[in-house]
Amino acid sequence: MKSEFFTVLRSPVFWGAIILLALGPFVLPSYYLHIATLTLIYIALASSWNIVGGIGGQISLAHSLFVGTGAVLSSALLLKLGINMWLGMVIAALVSGLMGAIISFIDFRFRLGHLSFALITLAFAEMGEIIVIGTEALGGASGLFLPKDKGDLLAFQFGSGAGIFWVMLTLAVGAILINLAVLNLPLGFYLRTIRDNEAAAQAIGVNILRNKTIAMVISAMFTSVIGTAYARYLTFVDPYQLASPVLTVEIVLIATVGGLGKAFGPALGAVLLIPLGEILRGKLGGSLPGLHYFVYGAVVIAVILATPRGLLPALQSRLASWRGSAKSEAKKPSIAAPGA
Amino acid sequence: MDELLQALAQGFLVGSTYGLLALGMGLIYSVSGLVNFAHGDFFSLGMYLCFALFSAFALDPYVSLVITLPAMMLIGAGVYQFLIRPIAGHHLLMVIQLTLGLALLVQNGILMVFGGQFERTPSIVESKLVLLGPVVVRMPHVIACLASFGIAAALYVLLRSTDWGRAIRSVHQNAKAAALMGIDVGRVRMLTFAAGLGLLAIAAALIVPGTPMHPSLGLRYTVITLIVMVLGGMTNFVGIMLAGLVIGISEALGTIYLSDMLGMLMPYLIFVVIMLLRPQGLLKAA
Amino acid sequence: MLEVHGLTAGYGGNPVLEDVRIEIGRGKLVGLLGANNAGKSTFINCLSGVVPASSGRILFEGEDITRLSPKSRVERGIIQVPEGRLVFPDMSVRENLLLGGVNATARPRRAERIDYVLDLLPRLKERIGQAAGTLSGGEQQMLAIGRGLVAEPRLLMLDEPSLGLAPRFVQYVFEIIDKLHADGLTVLLVEQNLNLTLRHSDYCYVLERGRVVVEGVSAHVKDDPRTKSAYLGL
Repeated sequence: MKSEFFTVLRSPVFWGAIILLALGPFVLPSYYLHIATLTLIYIALASSWNIVGGIGGQISLAHSLFVGTGAVLSSALLLKLGINMWLGMVIAALVSGLMGAIISFIDFRFRLGHLSFALITLAFAEMGEIIVIGTEALGGASGLFLPKDKGDLLAFQFGSGAGIFWVMLTLAVGAILINLAVLNLPLGFYLRTIRDNEAAAQAIGVNILRNKTIAMVISAMFTSVIGTAYARYLTFVDPYQLASPVLTVEIVLIATVGGLGKAFGPALGAVLLIPLGEILRGKLGGSLPGLHYFVYGAVVIAVILATPRGLLPALQSRLASWRGSAKSEAKKPSIAAPGA
Repeated sequence: MDELLQALAQGFLVGSTYGLLALGMGLIYSVSGLVNFAHGDFFSLGMYLCFALFSAFALDPYVSLVITLPAMMLIGAGVYQFLIRPIAGHHLLMVIQLTLGLALLVQNGILMVFGGQFERTPSIVESKLVLLGPVVVRMPHVIACLASFGIAAALYVLLRSTDWGRAIRSVHQNAKAAALMGIDVGRVRMLTFAAGLGLLAIAAALIVPGTPMHPSLGLRYTVITLIVMVLGGMTNFVGIMLAGLVIGISEALGTIYLSDMLGMLMPYLIFVVIMLLRPQGLLKAA
Repeated sequence: MLEVHGLTAGYGGNPVLEDVRIEIGRGKLVGLLGANNAGKSTFINCLSGVVPASSGRILFEGEDITRLSPKSRVERGIIQVPEGRLVFPDMSVRENLLLGGVNATARPRRAERIDYVLDLLPRLKERIGQAAGTLSGGEQQMLAIGRGLVAEPRLLMLDEPSLGLAPRFVQYVFEIIDKLHADGLTVLLVEQNLNLTLRHSDYCYVLERGRVVVEGVSAHVKDDPRTKSAYLGL
């Protein structure tokens, strides 16, 4: 358990799977390549959110702010000021990191409870969407169109579907590795201690502000980078899609279904939900818009009712007991139940 | 000056309906400690039910309440019994996520049935105007405002001075002690959840005349409702109505004197500031 | 009046109570003693129905009530005054008393019962409009007992009524219990306070780690060496 990070890094299965996935563009028809790319994007987004929401146990509903900043700010900088999108990506990530730090500071300074934190971050996210839609320089309600992707790497262009697929694969693997690293660093231990019992964590000298802020800034910056890449992939930067709190809700629910606080949990959620949703949308989207989100909602509710800790922990303990060596560790609830 | 009065009147009328929306949420929160992130989507559902009844039978929204009120209460009882109750006692975050899932379900259920275009449900009183000195307001807004305050007052009396109300408050204050009084805690929670959605059915009928509706607006209603409830002190019904007025008026003033964008931002700004400086709400919680 | 046979109960597979057998005769004041964590509160909550019994039977006046809801038990007159008082803090003393009589059996005579309680506990009359949360600990205990009495108990179960009270209030609580007993009420008194309970009760049970280790007429229980050892955990 302690060295899960290195076990995975040394695991031939892990790298083999990545190499196999990287071959995807050579075999997949473009429609399925699109679904695979989207899945990777959501693996990356849900895994990034997991650092704060799963490992840290703070329901941040502000992550659409970071996706939106990464997508809208970098695109606006390119289109209005001609700033290279690589630089725009860095600027947006720094802005997102700063916003994350401010949110953490507010959380700490005013000792927000779980509910207040969710509400305040949701209010920030709503404000973010309203500001983007109301600001002409950021594209306003009509959004921004990026120039056609001609494969000029220096201009943040990755060419064919294969190029952007590999970018997303890198980001998804990166997000999972960050999760693994955080879980195996003292940071992850502190975050879990804070999540399970903040008062006790404080009593044994865990620096709550510092640990929560680091987690939030890492999560915000990485989410912002994914946002920039997502904008490049979509070409059309729609604020109602990329800066909307509904996006956060989607991310949160994917992570919940997979399993909060686990390195591979959010990825599992995305692998299940995104292709399901996309195929439903492809087959029935014309006649029944909304069906794929409807199914998301139903799956989420069913999973929460059936396995309140998410699918991955449930699968793991099922597997462990099947092997006849149920680890007691897997049975512990990942989130402490509140006192009676 | 007339412009200011007009904005104040408009904000007051709209704010009172925000208060009504938040009363339903506050009622549910007060017995179950549950914050329902699907609240706004259930409100949307109430409006679309009015729309469906109007399209099918040309029922006026006020009349269709005869059907939508029991229907929404039934939905509420079912949702509590089959979805919320099984995970009661789990961590707050779990319950928040479940209601977020529910929000997605309801919102897209509406989208599937009614499609993604804006709709309106007219009423016979819709185009009637009321003159109050220099201020012109629309009849449905006046009806909604009066009804909101009437319902708030009735609810207040009900909670203060009936056994039913005392049972609800006792479950909120100490569920174990309430059970020891012979109160069926599960049943009280289910009934208040049903009542909370019933209040949404009433709010929907009051707000729907002339209000454009779209399936995607649910989350925004949820956020406005949450803001009003938190500002009001979660379970303080006087505070909630007052907070509704504060938000409604600040939104109206912001839109007229600043810009559309700042007007829309105003409720959130006020919320964040008050949340940080006075986390217990505008009034002290009762 | 109340018979408990082979009661076992617990949380998540670890039994807190094992094979407990207790009998309470009509009009008796029965004491249930034990150190912390001996299972006293679990036992009383089992009788109220807020903690389920995993096996065993509870008979009340000959009727098997093991599977009845807390509500039905309250309606049969099995009333608990819980540990830590658990008054409704944001409600007035009067509202707390009204809630005591909210069950279907007590509801018709509630007003008379409240008058009776206010005569018995005149301190509550002085505080009638005050929020229960603003009362002193002793006054809250009065209120909790008064609230239980409004419910027209046939069996009154008191869980640690003397816990955390000033000595003169402890004295007063026991005086009230004596008076109720003298008036013919059946009482189950769960206590840590060994000497006071033994002095006031007719019959006593001593619990240790979920099992009855001593029982008998109170005077005998007092002299039994196992009582002391159950307390000291020897």
